[in-house]
Amino acid sequence: MATRWSIVSGVAAAALVWGAAAAQAEPVRLVLWHMEQPPHRVARVQELIDAFNKSHPDIAVKQEPQSWGEIYAKAPAAIAAGNAPDLLFAIPDFTPILKDLGALQSVDGFVKRLDAEHHFVPSALAPYSYDGGVWAVPLYNMAMSLWYRKSVFAEAGLTPPKTWSEWKAAAEKLTADGRYGIGLPANKQLYTDQTVYDLMVNAGAADIYNPDGTLRFDNPQTVKAYDFYKDLYQFSAADAPGWTWGEAEACFASGGCGMILQFTVISTYDSQAEGDAQDLGVAPIPHADDRKESGTIAYSNAVMILAKDEAKRKAAETFIAWLLEPETYGRFLNMEPGLFLPVTADGAKAKSLWSDPLVVKYKPQIEAMIANSRNGALFGFTGGHTFPSIAAISAQNILAETLQKVVVDEMSAADAVKAGQARMQEAVK
Amino acid sequence: MSAGPRRLSRARSEAIAGMLMVAPVLVWLAATILYPLGTSVAISLRDIRIIGSDGGFVGLGNYADVLEMARLWAALGRSLVWVTGNAVLQTLLALGTALLLNQRFRGVRLVRVWVILSWIVPTIVVVIIWRWLLGTSGGVVNYLLVSLGLTDRPVGFFAGQGSAMASLVVINSWRWFPFVAVMLLAGLQRIPADLYEAAAIDGAGPWQRFRRITWPLLQPTMLVLGVVGTLLSFNVFDIIWLTTAGGPSGATQTLPVLIYETAFKSYRLGQAAAMSVLVSLLLMALAVLLTRALAPKGQG
Repeated sequence: MATRWSIVSGVAAAALVWGAAAAQAEPVRLVLWHMEQPPHRVARVQELIDAFNKSHPDIAVKQEPQSWGEIYAKAPAAIAAGNAPDLLFAIPDFTPILKDLGALQSVDGFVKRLDAEHHFVPSALAPYSYDGGVWAVPLYNMAMSLWYRKSVFAEAGLTPPKTWSEWKAAAEKLTADGRYGIGLPANKQLYTDQTVYDLMVNAGAADIYNPDGTLRFDNPQTVKAYDFYKDLYQFSAADAPGWTWGEAEACFASGGCGMILQFTVISTYDSQAEGDAQDLGVAPIPHADDRKESGTIAYSNAVMILAKDEAKRKAAETFIAWLLEPETYGRFLNMEPGLFLPVTADGAKAKSLWSDPLVVKYKPQIEAMIANSRNGALFGFTGGHTFPSIAAISAQNILAETLQKVVVDEMSAADAVKAGQARMQEAVK
Repeated sequence: MSAGPRRLSRARSEAIAGMLMVAPVLVWLAATILYPLGTSVAISLRDIRIIGSDGGFVGLGNYADVLEMARLWAALGRSLVWVTGNAVLQTLLALGTALLLNQRFRGVRLVRVWVILSWIVPTIVVVIIWRWLLGTSGGVVNYLLVSLGLTDRPVGFFAGQGSAMASLVVINSWRWFPFVAVMLLAGLQRIPADLYEAAAIDGAGPWQRFRRITWPLLQPTMLVLGVVGTLLSFNVFDIIWLTTAGGPSGATQTLPVLIYETAFKSYRLGQAAAMSVLVSLLLMALAVLLTRALAPKGQG
């Protein structure tokens, strides 16, 4: 009898020890949602995750790529259903939505620690700092530029346009059989919001809000921007009302578009077009004739920590801190060389950033993009203010919707902008 | 005397057994239809913005708000255009195909399988195929139009107010007409061949045979397809959303698209739920009306 009890006790103790060991060996699992869907970006993120998981056996990160088109709907639904990811990439106007749902905790302390080590570019951090907290950790900057082929411009006797008059003339001259002078979108989607805002910035209409938080979208500069967009749009493709970033890039890569507004075209140009670095031109976005300098849409992307569990939050911080280490940060940014610009001082100098073969090949273009980004702005985050209600305007793509009234419904720009302001007021109510 | 009560008792136990057999399905239906419907009604009475957030009780306020929205009525109009366009085009394509497939010719079995393929293809693939076909850069249709000199520059099929809706109707009809054709073919094959033989002996031509025999005897099948097809068409969301997302400028924003946008883009979940409840009531009324209007005469 005693022997039997000994055996039972021994087995039970062994099971307990094994169970405890197994529980200890079980890594903290993190699910990461990001919206960098192109396969080469997903592959690079996976490479980094594999490296991280290998060097941190106590943490297991898994990526689940999402779409920018759906994430504004999907993330709140996932949170409501209890299926939210632990980490979620964001742009500035996305964080207020999740913060209002109570899904975010401030990462102020964590960001301070990172800042002491890596020194964030202040403008990258500002859009995520409001209501007494910091709601996401900046990861990379983006800025739009005008892309063209030097040989095509030379053949047409053109130089990169600086003003809107020159720009329109160039688009007209580049329009030929089988080629659109310019590829401009008119989809009710984020890409169109961005290209419209490019023109607003260059017309002097960067501020959608007054400093007191009231809307000032309906003003002569905004109308001027929409009017000029319509002028240029006549030289764009007939199916532009369905375009997102990919279609514009494809049009440029195939030579079907003489120029486009895009964050970068380097990857597609190098892999699917000529890949002649000497011929790829990048210029600041032209400004209205009565203005002196060019501006662009520019903003930092960030990552939010949605995990509530303390162990998961710590693991998420470990992953983000690892990502921002200079030796890994450059590899992360180069998932799309030239598109993702550094937000930390040591990241900007990182060897891992500048040693990538594509970055080496297209260094002048990347330096030009960085220079363009210095005069950047983002709707709802201008003049040192942050207006969280921009989230509702952005989620409904009201800038793009207003453009569709002008180029599809043929409404006058003044009436469309007036209607746009009314829609914004309804949205932020 | 004793046979009556025994028969009654047997009938009752059969009825109970029958009810027990269908009970699981009824419970399942209640759980999957009535519960969500009830939840929608509950949400529609509250001012809930983002999914997952709370909202105060507003009674019928959301209903009053949405009924005043010009967008709702415009979307309803587009939904009617969408349903009518699909009904007409699908019926024409399906009836023609079914009549053809009802003939005897070599390889008819292969053709019947071939025709159904477009219905089997997943929606996302259908959308990619058609966006590629109708695209302005490299699209086959535009290439042919320009090559044949029918147009001097590529046509933006999804870029115009009218052309976007027409293109979507064509795509959706292309996807669904094989299913309707197969159903009609089944209906055609139930019509006795001797009716056609007798009519032919009496001197009836093909058109008269179609008008006097085929068409009337297809009515029961057409009724079912008419009701089910209308309700299915009305609720189509995937093809529209994936192809045009309701654009350009709202030209293809049907009621399901508007409800989705109201819930998940405008973050007005309460209003979207009110719209859903109204649409459900509308569809129920439509189903009753269609059933009555299309029912063959003499069948009550």
